[in-house]
Amino acid sequence: MKQFFGKSHSGDLKEAVRGLSNPQLIMLMSNKEQFEEHVKKLEALYPGVPSIGCIGMSYDTSVVEQGVGVLAFTDGIAAVADVLEEVTVMPVKYIERLERDVAKVDASQRDTICIDFCSGNDACVLTTIYSVLKQRNIGLVGGTGDAGKVSANGKIYEDAVAYAFVKNLNGKVKAYKENIYHKMQNHRFIASRTDKAKYILGELNGKSAKRVYQDILHVSEKEITTQTFKNPFGKINGDDVCIISIKEVDGDALACFRQVNDSDVLMLLELGDYRATVKETIQMIRRDFSRISAVFSVNCLFRYLLFSDNHYMQEYLQDMGTLGNHAGLVGYGEHYNNRFVNQSMTCVVFE
Amino acid sequence: MIFDKVNRKSFGKGNQKKSLYPVKYVINNLDGYKKELVEKEVASLKELSLINSSFRHVLGDTEKFEEQLQDFGQSFSNINEASSQFAEVKSQIAESVDQAQREVEELKNSSRQVEAHFGEMEGTFANFQECVKRIKGCTNKIVSIADQTNILALNASIEAARAGELGKGFAVVATEVKELADEIKKLVAEVNVSVGDVEQGTEQLSVNIHTSQTALGDSIEKVDETYQMFDKITEASEKVTTVQSQISAAIGDSQASLQSLCGFFDRTKGQYREVMKHIDFASKLGTTKSAMFEDIDNMMSQIPPIIDDYGK
Repeated sequence: MKQFFGKSHSGDLKEAVRGLSNPQLIMLMSNKEQFEEHVKKLEALYPGVPSIGCIGMSYDTSVVEQGVGVLAFTDGIAAVADVLEEVTVMPVKYIERLERDVAKVDASQRDTICIDFCSGNDACVLTTIYSVLKQRNIGLVGGTGDAGKVSANGKIYEDAVAYAFVKNLNGKVKAYKENIYHKMQNHRFIASRTDKAKYILGELNGKSAKRVYQDILHVSEKEITTQTFKNPFGKINGDDVCIISIKEVDGDALACFRQVNDSDVLMLLELGDYRATVKETIQMIRRDFSRISAVFSVNCLFRYLLFSDNHYMQEYLQDMGTLGNHAGLVGYGEHYNNRFVNQSMTCVVFE
Repeated sequence: MIFDKVNRKSFGKGNQKKSLYPVKYVINNLDGYKKELVEKEVASLKELSLINSSFRHVLGDTEKFEEQLQDFGQSFSNINEASSQFAEVKSQIAESVDQAQREVEELKNSSRQVEAHFGEMEGTFANFQECVKRIKGCTNKIVSIADQTNILALNASIEAARAGELGKGFAVVATEVKELADEIKKLVAEVNVSVGDVEQGTEQLSVNIHTSQTALGDSIEKVDETYQMFDKITEASEKVTTVQSQISAAIGDSQASLQSLCGFFDRTKGQYREVMKHIDFASKLGTTKSAMFEDIDNMMSQIPPIIDDYGK
């Protein structure tokens, strides 16, 4: 299969799709102002081609911050796209669409990936989607766009998740998640007094979450929101760690960018050697794949900001580019199988 | 409560509303059970964490104790090593005693020789004294002869005087003879003085020889006593070997017991580690439960709006 990535920093869709012919799946990553216009134009240019879209920055060897990025798969894949609506309250209402599309591409663990762009209520969305995917052990990679809008097959939706199944007809696929933070020993907590709807974390081991965070890291209340770049929380799920970013202080509690539940086991994390971690991820992918057709990734906005502040973003994209065709989305939350995470990178590699 | 989220007005009319109520009732109760389950899960996770912490302390203490036992073992080895040097020391003592005995034997022999020489010297002195006596006898005789010569010289002088002029030459001779006799007497007196000095010296020497002989006799006695002491030392160093064997045996028993104790602690440590592995695994399982609770919650929370939607 082949991956096409076209971009226009000025938001010119025609410039972005120059050279794209016979796409089998299109992913649109546009800006807030031009999203609707781009969705319509894209559908007009490639009618009937399965497509999903969201609002967000995109990248291949450089980041498109304001314009538009178009990623497409051509040759050697089978794809289908659709949407689950009303995701804030009941995405499961549309579950039959997902079941139909899984069967349509005859999805399997080895060669099929689900890619999703979500507008919100990510954890609930992933629980719902994965209830279908887990029956065939299909992996998922995706993220949250901006402004609560997504598109699927030329139509815009608010409060929805646009998804696509991509089956690689010429090889395998595999999903990865990368974490550049490691656990701080002796800082393990059980969460309580949480508010699932407001993403509130009230207490850690029975004490005010805000005070615990401040006492361990010796930061003021004001510094908490920026401290998450160095010290987010990690929710422990077996051997895996799902990063939870801190948004702001809410009284004695902390508001996060992801829901926290009572009985969640959390650990305080600290920033590791991200350059080394990126290299390890690349080496792991090379070990798993002797030939790589394409890599699609979703990098968290916070990672983009951290890398940019440290003048590493360009080098990062160059390093990832050594794998082959690499392109992706800067997301407001990342999806990996059934896990909604923050401050992470998820990607799918196509053989 | 999930039940409260349902908009009662959204219920359809008549039969649909009645048929769905039990569903909502069950969901409501499930939500309550789930909340209770979560609370219990929080409590059990806390307990697991405390157990983990306690076992870590116990494991830490066990490891420290094991280190101390190993130090003990090292001390026993050191004692054993030190006591094994007894044999070397005993052998050195035996060698030294042997050498000392040989030297003492030589000393005894030398002393006996000296004693013999002293005996000879005594004999020599006795002869010497005898000679001195004879010398004195001779000098006395010489003095007597000189006296008689003096008398004769006197008589000669008298006769010379009687002879008058003819006797002058004779008188001179008589005078010279008298002078000679006097000189002889002086010389004899000097000889007597020298002999007297010699007598005194030899007397002193004889006393010294006696004293030395006595001292020598004492030292020979001491040599015999020393022989006895060496025998006692040899006997004592033989006993040390026995003591060293006993120490070795005791250390051997202690080391065996220590090994047994270390083995016990190793097994206990192994068991503690097993327990901690299980606790860690249980903790890990606990963390996966919270993800499942979230999934359950995510699914269950959709039911009331679906029911509402269904009722429209």
